Amino acid sequence: MRKSFYFLLFPLWVSPASVSLAQDAALIQAAKKEGKVVWYTSLAIPSSTAIAHAFRTKYAGVDVEVHRTGSQRVLQRVMQEAGAGIKNADVIHTSDAGHFVLFKDKGMLMKYIPKGAEIFPAGFKDKDGFYFGMRATLSVIAYNPKSVAEKDAPKTWKDLLNPKWKGKMVSAHPGYSGIIMTHVLALVNLYGWEYFRELAKNGLHMVQSANDPAGVVASGERPVGANGAEYFYYKTQKQGNPIKIIYPNEGIPLVVSPVAIAKDAPHPNAAKLFSEYIFAKESQQLLADREGLYTGHPEVTYPADKPKLKDLKLLSVDADELEKKNAEIKKRFVEFFGA
Amino acid sequence: MATVSLVGLTKKFATLPAVDNLHLEIGDGEFVSLLGPSGCGKTTTLRLIAGFLEPDGGEIKVGNEVISSSTVMVPPERRAMSMIFQSYAVWPHMTVFQNVAYGLKFQKLSTREADQRVSQFLSLVRLDALKDRYPAELSGGQQQRVALARALVVAPRILLMDEPLSNLDAHLREEMRSEIRRLHEEIRITTIYVTHDQAEAMATSDRIAVLNSGRMVQVGRPGEIFDHPKTRFVAEFVGKTNILSGRFDGGNQMFVRDGLQIRVAGGAEFNARSDAFVCLRPHNIVLMADESRAREMERQGYNLFAGLVRRQIYFGDAVDYTVELPAHSLNLRIITPPSQRYEQGQKIYALAHPDHCVVIKE
Amino acid sequence: MLAAETSGRYWGGLKLKGWDSTLPVWVGASLLLVLLMAFPLGAIFSTSVRNQAGLTFGNYAEVFTKPAFLTAIRNTIIISFWVGLIAVIVGGLLGWLVTRTDLPWKKTVRALVMASFVTPPFLGAFAWTLLAGPNAGALNKLFRAVTGGDEFLFNIFTMTGLIFVMALYSFPYAFSMIANVCELISSDLEDAAVILGANKLKTAWTITLPLALPALLSGFIIAFLHSLSLFGAPAILGLPAGIHTITTQIWTLFQYPPRLELAAAFSVPLLLATMVLIGLQKRILGRRGFSTVGGRGGQKRVVKLGWGRVPVFILVLAILSCSVFLPYWILLKAAFSRAWAMPLDWGNFTVENFSYVLFQYSDTQRAILNTFKLGILTATTGTLLAMLIAYITNRNILRGARYLSFFALAPLVIPGIVLAVGLFIVYTQPPVVLYGTVWILFIAFLTKEMPIGFSQAESTFKSIHVELEDASRILGANRLVSLKDVTAPLARSGLIAAWCFIFIGVIRELSAAILLFAPSSKVISVVIFDLKEEGQVGAISVLGILLLAVSFLIILAVQRLLGRDLVTARE
Repeated sequence: MRKSFYFLLFPLWVSPASVSLAQDAALIQAAKKEGKVVWYTSLAIPSSTAIAHAFRTKYAGVDVEVHRTGSQRVLQRVMQEAGAGIKNADVIHTSDAGHFVLFKDKGMLMKYIPKGAEIFPAGFKDKDGFYFGMRATLSVIAYNPKSVAEKDAPKTWKDLLNPKWKGKMVSAHPGYSGIIMTHVLALVNLYGWEYFRELAKNGLHMVQSANDPAGVVASGERPVGANGAEYFYYKTQKQGNPIKIIYPNEGIPLVVSPVAIAKDAPHPNAAKLFSEYIFAKESQQLLADREGLYTGHPEVTYPADKPKLKDLKLLSVDADELEKKNAEIKKRFVEFFGA
Repeated sequence: MATVSLVGLTKKFATLPAVDNLHLEIGDGEFVSLLGPSGCGKTTTLRLIAGFLEPDGGEIKVGNEVISSSTVMVPPERRAMSMIFQSYAVWPHMTVFQNVAYGLKFQKLSTREADQRVSQFLSLVRLDALKDRYPAELSGGQQQRVALARALVVAPRILLMDEPLSNLDAHLREEMRSEIRRLHEEIRITTIYVTHDQAEAMATSDRIAVLNSGRMVQVGRPGEIFDHPKTRFVAEFVGKTNILSGRFDGGNQMFVRDGLQIRVAGGAEFNARSDAFVCLRPHNIVLMADESRAREMERQGYNLFAGLVRRQIYFGDAVDYTVELPAHSLNLRIITPPSQRYEQGQKIYALAHPDHCVVIKE
Repeated sequence: MLAAETSGRYWGGLKLKGWDSTLPVWVGASLLLVLLMAFPLGAIFSTSVRNQAGLTFGNYAEVFTKPAFLTAIRNTIIISFWVGLIAVIVGGLLGWLVTRTDLPWKKTVRALVMASFVTPPFLGAFAWTLLAGPNAGALNKLFRAVTGGDEFLFNIFTMTGLIFVMALYSFPYAFSMIANVCELISSDLEDAAVILGANKLKTAWTITLPLALPALLSGFIIAFLHSLSLFGAPAILGLPAGIHTITTQIWTLFQYPPRLELAAAFSVPLLLATMVLIGLQKRILGRRGFSTVGGRGGQKRVVKLGWGRVPVFILVLAILSCSVFLPYWILLKAAFSRAWAMPLDWGNFTVENFSYVLFQYSDTQRAILNTFKLGILTATTGTLLAMLIAYITNRNILRGARYLSFFALAPLVIPGIVLAVGLFIVYTQPPVVLYGTVWILFIAFLTKEMPIGFSQAESTFKSIHVELEDASRILGANRLVSLKDVTAPLARSGLIAAWCFIFIGVIRELSAAILLFAPSSKVISVVIFDLKEEGQVGAISVLGILLLAVSFLIILAVQRLLGRDLVTARE
């Protein structure tokens, strides 16, 4: 996933009309025969169930079995099942691009280019056609305006090192979340591991999911989130909770979450149909409207109060690097933060 | 033929033998008691016969079939026996009728036939009015009768009874033991009866086998056991007795101590001049105050003991005397009918016929 | 009447006794039991000494030298020690108060101790995060409101907080042991001291205490072991503070890429420590399972607390509030709130959480179904198996039957997560791959709950006179038919109690399930843990309340059946 992709999100890139999902009747038939698609996903529960619900409504007769857990757990699950010869997952989706490098290397993915995905920018596509970016989000700083005045709020990643935030911050964990895994690697590339060593001195409250900090900050348990999924902060804020998001100008880790079909998917046709659906404008727009996510679909429009990606300094992370450093990042993080 | 043979039967618990090389033949339709103190192995023997325990040695045969041995172990449910337990073991969650009817489930009878049989046996033990009651509502004696009916209704080849009357009061016990004897004479099932109560054994059995410490001490008809005990243990256990120790001089003479020579019965198998005991039953000794009559009886061959009345206990239907023989520093216990009353310290003469002075070894 | 068959047979040189047709059942049940234990334990031992290269002790070396692991071990020991100590003090105090003094409302106190016992520790831990999180925790908020300051009273995300919560749910074990013993101590012994001039306190200190010492030690050991094997509470309270215990460390080793051999190497010392401690505990108590104290029979008079009656009761209530009232209250509040940290006013009240858990979120729906299915299946199978095994050991049907009771009770010695490690290793590879199905959970639960089913079945059978079965056997019923017609009906209430204990144990089990579950075989405890990682407080509270409600209903039913207090009447 290259750095420059976001330029390609310009709505100028208009696709031919044929991109709109031409219902392949045969595919739908075959999918209905299979009856369901099993989806291992790290997308937050409300968002995953929304997609599943929309799909089910559109294609009655094909159920979506949603199994949602953190990206790293999805990885663990997929690898465990592969090791035991269990074929359960049809569609796999996490927020750690490195996972898909691993899966592809091990021959665990089916080569399939969903119709419509061809128009996505290069940063959202595997060049060999094994996986595609379903959504994108950022890892950002957030704070509770009831506990922290705007002028005192941290503005940059470096600000978080200030001892005045000791005992006042929450962080999610790269051992669970793909978003945070990406975040950590991006910041390590920016500032080195020293950054996290220093950060740990402020005694952060550790949670697992990149979505969890939103709840912690909103409840006032810890007034500052040192990282976290932007889309979930945004949603929580929109629900009326006291959250303000900071987009640090040093650079913001961009996380593209790939999705792929398992090579030995027990319901291959349903999987393909589901894939098609995910990348159709309809569902991509749903992700943008209701879930606060960014997408690779050039025709999708975003809420006015969300910053445009092109206006932000983004930090991109190479998928291969993510895969190679996965274990190391987990290990060093634990070293600094204890668990 | 429902005969039972115990051949060299042995059972050990830890290293101690509870049943030690037992031999016993029980005839078809015979009522045999296993009599002995607690711990003598009688219940163990019964449980071995029933098949609840495996022998460590020897074998058990019914008729010509071996049912227990070191290579064969027929489980209890296939031995065609019935058993009555000390605790009655009447099932509290079934009615009287259901209890009695249970064993018939395993026989190929129609429901009508089975019900008929059950009713028949319930009348036999006079429990028909209570057939729908639960055991908790019955007295001990009634529960015992349920156990009896339950055991008999299945027409077993062999009936086993493990101290069935020991939990009843004295009155009921007497009643039940004649009931048991009466039923036996009517139905004639081979019966093996375990008890520690010698009166029970005497009242019910054709033969009695006396056990002690896992071994068979003596077996025989009740009269035989009583009148001719082979050992001191049997003499003391079965009935009350006086035991005098001394030296057997052969030729029906026994030297007890200075000045006391007794004419005895038995002793044919003993060596002359060997240590032995004499057993005199208190009921068999006659008491009289009249010296001349006593001497007359002595001349007729009776053994005479002269002494003083030391103690007497009046039982209403008998009197239990302790007579001291000062000349020989011995006490004799004598039981007389209630009409014979003597005074404390009175000079008295005790007479025992030689036939009633039985020589025994150990 | 059926004729007895001659059935002596020789078979090769092996004497084949005359055909008890029920033998296969007993042998089969015994074999099943042994295999349930043997496979996972064998797998753990063999995996712990292997790596890519072959046989090695390197795994153990790594476990005992790597700083992170050593820290986890050290944390575990410290935590368990303190938990044991607090549990014994609190449990002992309550036990003595309830059995030997005139404390008011003893029945209520016992019931509350029972409630602490039934509450899954991980649920308690979760509730305490809502109560005592330093900033949003309800208690801390109250404290700030009262003192007007900025400080918090109590940060639950600390070692102290973890110890506190774990002790809250371990003390019932100590209570049970100590209350049982205190019941047995005759007042005569204490009276003797009083006559000689000792006041109440001195008597308690110099007479009652030493007599109860074996029970105290034993209670300490049990509470220590209980806390050793907990997973949920350390994960919920310790991990956010960077505190690892052995159990959470083992769990972490399963993340990709998994280090099974390290997990195994970690498990073995845990297993050995548990075995040693249980052995010690049995030694201390003697063979009867509760210490025989001096003074047979004798009077049992009650110590009057006098003016202390009310203050002591308040103290007791305060303790029990921590384990029961406060957590339950906050769970109820959170279940019915949109925003759990906000006060529960009309604006905040909602039944959305219930509808979400029960009707919308497929994971929770599936988990509820799985949990109850597994609960019923495991309880039924477990009771049946326990019944057969207890029958074998009680009636001595097979040679070496007493070794069987060792196997039936062995799982007490195996911490849940260790069992899971073993089962994982065995059943994720050929020949039998049960991983990914509910069956691996079934096996784990069956194994883990066997001891409680067995000890209940055993004590029930002990109370049924063997002659009742002999009577049916001699009339023609073989052992199985006797079991069915005579023993089982009479043992009914005891067996139902066994069923209920197993059921409750299953529905709250976490430490084994957390390693063995698959997406479609999640159970409630796992989903609660999952949702915790997502911060879904409302849904967790609903599930927690569901678990508690079902558990209490069943306990009440059992108490009615057995007609006795379950906490102290057990071993």
